[in-house]
Amino acid sequence: MSALDRRLITHINWSLMGFTAILFCVGVANLYSASGVRNEDGIFVSPFFHKQLLWGLGGVASMTVCTLFDYRHLRSLALPLFIFSLLLLLLVPVIGKSVYGAKRWIDLGFFSLQPSEFAKISTLLLSASLLSRHKEPLNWRELFFMLCVVPPPCLLIFFQPDLGTTLMVLFLFGGTILYNGVKKHVFKTCCIVIPLLLPFSWLILKDYHKERIFTFLDPSRDLQGAGYHITQSQIAIGSGQLWGKGFQEGTQSLLRFLPEKHTDFAFAVFSEEWGFLGCIALLVLFCFFLSCIINTVRGAKDRFGSILCAGVFFYFFWQILVNIGMVVGLMPVVGIPLPFISYGGTATIVNFIMLGLVLNVSMRRFMFKSN
Amino acid sequence: MQIEVRSDGYQPPRSGLILLYSLIGTLFLIFVLRFWYLQILRGEEYAQQAHANRTRQERIYATRGIILDRKGELLAENRAAFALSLIREDCPDIPATLAQVSQWTGTPLPLLQSKFILESTKIKPFQPQIIAVDIPFEKVADIERQIFLWPGLSVQTRQRRYYPHGPLFAHILGYVADASERELKEDDKLALGDIVGKHGLELVLEKRLRGTKGQNIVEVDVLGRQLNKRQKAPPMAGENITLSLDIDMQKAASEALGEEAGAVVVLEPYTGKLRALVTHPSYDNNIFTTTLSKKDWAALVDDPGHPLQNRAIQSVYPPGSVWKLMMASLFLEQKIDPKSTVYCTGQISLGSHTFRCWKSGGHGFMNMMQSLINSCDVYYYEMGQRVGIDNIERFAKACGFGSATGIDLPHERPGLVPGKSWKFNRLEEQWQRGETLNISIGQGYTLVTPLQMAVFMAALLNNGKILKPSLIEDEPEALKKLLPIPHNQRNFILEGMRMTAATGTARRINRPDAVMGGKTGTAQVVRIGERRLKKSEMAYQHRDHAWLVSFGIKDGKTYVVVVMVEHGGGGSSTAGPVVAKVYEALFGPIHPGSQISQKSSPFANNPDADARRQGTTQ
Repeated sequence: MSALDRRLITHINWSLMGFTAILFCVGVANLYSASGVRNEDGIFVSPFFHKQLLWGLGGVASMTVCTLFDYRHLRSLALPLFIFSLLLLLLVPVIGKSVYGAKRWIDLGFFSLQPSEFAKISTLLLSASLLSRHKEPLNWRELFFMLCVVPPPCLLIFFQPDLGTTLMVLFLFGGTILYNGVKKHVFKTCCIVIPLLLPFSWLILKDYHKERIFTFLDPSRDLQGAGYHITQSQIAIGSGQLWGKGFQEGTQSLLRFLPEKHTDFAFAVFSEEWGFLGCIALLVLFCFFLSCIINTVRGAKDRFGSILCAGVFFYFFWQILVNIGMVVGLMPVVGIPLPFISYGGTATIVNFIMLGLVLNVSMRRFMFKSN
Repeated sequence: MQIEVRSDGYQPPRSGLILLYSLIGTLFLIFVLRFWYLQILRGEEYAQQAHANRTRQERIYATRGIILDRKGELLAENRAAFALSLIREDCPDIPATLAQVSQWTGTPLPLLQSKFILESTKIKPFQPQIIAVDIPFEKVADIERQIFLWPGLSVQTRQRRYYPHGPLFAHILGYVADASERELKEDDKLALGDIVGKHGLELVLEKRLRGTKGQNIVEVDVLGRQLNKRQKAPPMAGENITLSLDIDMQKAASEALGEEAGAVVVLEPYTGKLRALVTHPSYDNNIFTTTLSKKDWAALVDDPGHPLQNRAIQSVYPPGSVWKLMMASLFLEQKIDPKSTVYCTGQISLGSHTFRCWKSGGHGFMNMMQSLINSCDVYYYEMGQRVGIDNIERFAKACGFGSATGIDLPHERPGLVPGKSWKFNRLEEQWQRGETLNISIGQGYTLVTPLQMAVFMAALLNNGKILKPSLIEDEPEALKKLLPIPHNQRNFILEGMRMTAATGTARRINRPDAVMGGKTGTAQVVRIGERRLKKSEMAYQHRDHAWLVSFGIKDGKTYVVVVMVEHGGGGSSTAGPVVAKVYEALFGPIHPGSQISQKSSPFANNPDADARRQGTTQ
């Protein structure tokens, strides 16, 4: 047993853990700065960064739990977990609690469960489980069968309404399929057909989604209202210039011009205070973090583990792309947090669970006998 | 419990790995370029904008225009009022701030909180939200001393509308209050907490009274406290408006009406200017500009006297005998010889119905002039039947009845001129001949407002011009249409009214120093039984409405005075003294022995006399 334990430890993806730790610390420091209100009498700090530290501890605990069992059990557990998460999503409209007109949470008394977060994990597991059956790239029939899995969770989440999470599930799922590969002719046809179908998605978008897209295209449409986020965020980032204004010196966040500075727009606070160089540094950190995940994707000794880690890669990749894209004004405002930088309890826990899955795969590489 | 399996030489798909690596590369490239663009290429520009963000725009409220009577007496003015406002983004601890405000103002905290939450969604970032209004001056000093402890909170000096004469002009001026959600939506110049006219002239003249807000540019420190301030656009005060009403006339008319419910209209016939417009009972419109309690509002709405109703323009009544002025004009138009007579026995029969004259003994032979002077019902029954309901309907509408006068006040009612098609559409019944008789003496379905009667009376005097009655002194006269009554026929009616005031039912208003004319009306609310009951024998709501339509000419000044006393009983006995008092205010008290120089009637149908009269009055 002891020999086994040692091998488990030595095979673990230590570099991934290292980059995660650095990113998380940067995030907490940034939250500390974003919370500070400077005053002649001293500095008041609202308790966001304290809470984020606590969530981080909870995250590390969940991550550890996720490494304790052999991930290959998940392959057979994927379908039951998926069905369970669908049931939870179905319960939301019935017993969910309403916040800002959206029903996303189930109140368990001691904390609020967000079934859509759970659905992300279970959809990832199911897609990895299903795809691992195919040794060859998918043909039409197999692709069609795979795509039948997506609509139930996506529709349920879309009508909560939560466009951001819906897109995340969709992209994550699509990412794993692309990673596993489809037949060449299938891929070529999709490249032509999907862009043609995109305009139809306009029909299912709600008015406020359309308004956000219009405002994205022209922030001056409503400077005091919807365009306010975009404009103020760009002012914050741009005014950081090369060197930044320094830790706790960002006027945009201190003067409270920046909305959602703890959550979706936390990166804008960072850019303002650390400037171009800081942004590049953080971007490099994220890129190393992502390539550490790819290392496990490459090193995995079975298809399921490899696809599972690729899914986790997409999970983080899309969040980074969409969040920073939104904050720098390259994408419409969609409520998606930046991993480890934005404040958020559930998101932090799920991030660590996802990492736990990758670590799990990396730890158990040695359990395969090579031929 | 580890599962040992063969890996079957699994190799991750090459294309998939290439995809993942290229995604990272793309991510890096896109954002490096974007950061470079935002922070290096345009960094300077954004840095300036961030600096400019230290400044905020602040509204300066425009003074609402004041309203004066024609002599310059203040009818609606602005008084300083203090309010507390909160800028959410500047306030570190909103619950504690609200608790402090509750302690200062005595407003219960839950009320303050619920109002704050309700309204905060409508306030744009960095705009102050009014959280407490009407803070007494004594408290303001106290609050100002401590307010620096509460970032985000500030004392705002606002203006509060005040009506010095309260009930006397309540229905005309209306009142102002906070703009409603609908009003905010319809007018993007309004912001939450702005005051707008809700009723009366405050509503109708809103655009002229409101003015334009100004703007201050305020530089703030990190706590939102003001460092310095400069004016970007000065506020433009609203227009001051002078009414045609005369406060002394208004007071006199109100006092003349006394405790009775009803309306008094004093109108200058040649200009269409109203000099008094009184409705009783009234209310104090000042209660609407402070916080109106539910209890006060319920008391006003449930008051059996309906004080919110403007009886001069919003209440409709059967005109009773004052209608005969219009009917007699119609008879002349229909070529009925004014000298031909009808014999009044005190009643007339039609089928099984008996239609009674007010004088049960009858008037004997009556020609047109005598029928006006004595208000003989039988003459109008008889002649009304001859001209028929279609003619009555057409002519009454041409005289302006059945449609609003167009006065600048909201919710004016048009009254009703019934006819065959109206009755069929409304009740799906055929017209009865007996109804024509009722209409002929101003009963039945006919409904008019006191103001409509005054406008008709004015048109008889001013060469037949139906003018829009005007409340605003500098408004040019607006001709609506011309009376379908030629000059000599108008003079016949006026002469009839002069005689009525001299010797007939309107004797109470006569005075020796002026040319006076009048026509009384006693409009029945319930059908008369075998015998006309005395006023004291009837329940209040069954009593007749008392009408008196009159004109007076003295020293080149001509006025129309119309009085309607709701359930007042007889037109002569109840409305007569009210009208007489109004003329005392208009023309001065009657000096015993004073006489007008001109003894002959000014309305005799003599072309020379007409020319002379027009020369002096126009």
